[in-house]
Amino acid sequence: MILELSGIWKVFRLGTEAVEALCGVDLALEEGEFVTVIGSNGAGKSTLLNVIAGTCRPNRGRVRIGGKDVTKWPAHRRARWIGRVFQDPLRGTAAHMTLAENLALALKKGRRGFSLLLTPARKRYLRKLLEPLGMELERRLGERVGHLSGGERQAVTVLMATLARPKLLLLDEHTAALDPANAEKVLEITERLVGEARITTLMVTHRMDQALSLGNRLIMMHKGKIRLDLSAEEKERLSVADLVDLFRRLGVTDDALLLAGNGTNNAGDAYS
Amino acid sequence: MTLFLPAVEQGLIYGLMALGVYISFRVLAFPDLSVDGTFPLGAAVAATLIIAGWDPFLASLVAAGAGMVAGAFTGILSTKFRIQGLLAGVLTMIMLYSINLRIMGRPNLPLLGRPSALSTAVEALGLPYTWGLVVVAAILVLGIKLILDLFFHTEIGSAMRATGDNPHMVQAFGVNPETMVILGLALANGLVALSGALVAQYSGFADVGMGVGTIVAGLASVIVGEMLLRPRGVFWATVAVLLGSSLYRGAILVALRYGSVLGFTASDLKLLTALVVLGALMAPAIRARLRGEEA
Ligand SMILES: Nc1ncnc2c1ncn2[C@@H]1O[C@H](COP(=O)(O)OP(=O)(O)OP(=O)(O)O)[C@@H](O)[C@H]1O
Ligand SMILES: [Mg+2]
Repeated sequence: MILELSGIWKVFRLGTEAVEALCGVDLALEEGEFVTVIGSNGAGKSTLLNVIAGTCRPNRGRVRIGGKDVTKWPAHRRARWIGRVFQDPLRGTAAHMTLAENLALALKKGRRGFSLLLTPARKRYLRKLLEPLGMELERRLGERVGHLSGGERQAVTVLMATLARPKLLLLDEHTAALDPANAEKVLEITERLVGEARITTLMVTHRMDQALSLGNRLIMMHKGKIRLDLSAEEKERLSVADLVDLFRRLGVTDDALLLAGNGTNNAGDAYS
Repeated sequence: MTLFLPAVEQGLIYGLMALGVYISFRVLAFPDLSVDGTFPLGAAVAATLIIAGWDPFLASLVAAGAGMVAGAFTGILSTKFRIQGLLAGVLTMIMLYSINLRIMGRPNLPLLGRPSALSTAVEALGLPYTWGLVVVAAILVLGIKLILDLFFHTEIGSAMRATGDNPHMVQAFGVNPETMVILGLALANGLVALSGALVAQYSGFADVGMGVGTIVAGLASVIVGEMLLRPRGVFWATVAVLLGSSLYRGAILVALRYGSVLGFTASDLKLLTALVVLGALMAPAIRARLRGEEA
């Protein structure tokens, strides 16, 4: 078992008000699983990924990664096992540093000393890594990442997140802020990198068609709980319409989610 | 021309302070005000030790160490205890005011006739006193600059730069951003205190009030250098800081010598410096408005 969440509760206190973001979530991931996660706005998807990554400490419950209880570990300590990509392309890279420096930092994950970050050999290696992206980025290693477009930056972020062979990859609507062509490209890169290294992946998406077509397991969250957990075979037999129907029967009437079910790319409402 | 050598000398010695300000403000993006306390801390520690008969080099090193401890303290306040960066720096600065008085035992310690690290080195190298000091200061400060450049290209130094750029990102790549902030502030304030120690020896006294406005002077140097060179990369950025520092010290010397013609006195310097920094900070907004964009 690569990931094991048991009895996770997370309550945010805003003044006197309490927001229950996660209400007793249990989840176990086997090695090599690619799980798509859907759910209405505020369902707790991002909070779930934050709890796994360690940027958010649950009030109750345990997080185990590779059998190890990491519930109390700070995020930077778990980082060597976890790759993350967020919706905002600006979040995953250091804008004022060069492309080569960004990649090398990702490569040297967890191990840090007084040797030079960029050696000629390392630069050659990074160039090789960029070539398959097909974006000609291998010729822009010395350029600041801030000069890259959103799509290029997000492709680089996905590469960086998978570079150090993490046990787990956490993707939080990572194509939602991109135009359709770039979103397609970044998704294709994600699938290839994940497939090559067989990285266990959790991918949050607002698009039901994506949730059905990608990966080999589907989870639907609602109001802090996992309400639906479909295997690859069950997923295969479903159409987007079936999925929307399933949700209706579960009492989910969230407009955003159901709209997303019509196959529209609702990048606009997705900022959260 | 008589002002040229002193301007470069002072530009270099104060340049260490400006390098410290560059590290906290630019590399870490941390508005650290503790430098107003760590600059006189360096002076106080070095002066006290030299008067007690210590070797001036050793005294300066200990002064730098004291600055590092104070910088780390500010870093711990802001990271581990979640105190706002500005406030953490101000608290350290105020505490240091009392501590510096304790160290010196009185508000002012004269060092006239005592050995100074830089002039000892000038004598040891057999250089004439006229330009020997500039040479020794240049060797020391440029040496430190090059070591800094190298450091910021190592794995750990790059992680520090990335922390100032995007703390979320470094955390995701296994770096503890809190550690980086603490280390960086220690480094910055170590340089500032070393600068204070050398300035005390250069000017022949340590004074508890000599730190007032250090941060503004440091920022002025950083900003002037950046405007002139528009540096990309650490190497040129640190060159720009030292250039800015020399120009700033030159401007002060000119103002002190000829300012009286216009009715300036030494006590107006802080106002003038702050106005220069203010002007530089307002420039982008003013330029945008002149171009008709929304500021
Ligand atoms: N740091 C926080 N402080 C307070 N409340 C929070 C915080 N983070 C999340 N919440 C609340 O917890 C609930 C779950 O939020 P979360 O971001 O996990 O939802 P989500 O499923 O990712 O939604 P979306 O699809 O809009 O991204 C929401 O009600 C949200 O307002
Ligand atoms: Mg979310």
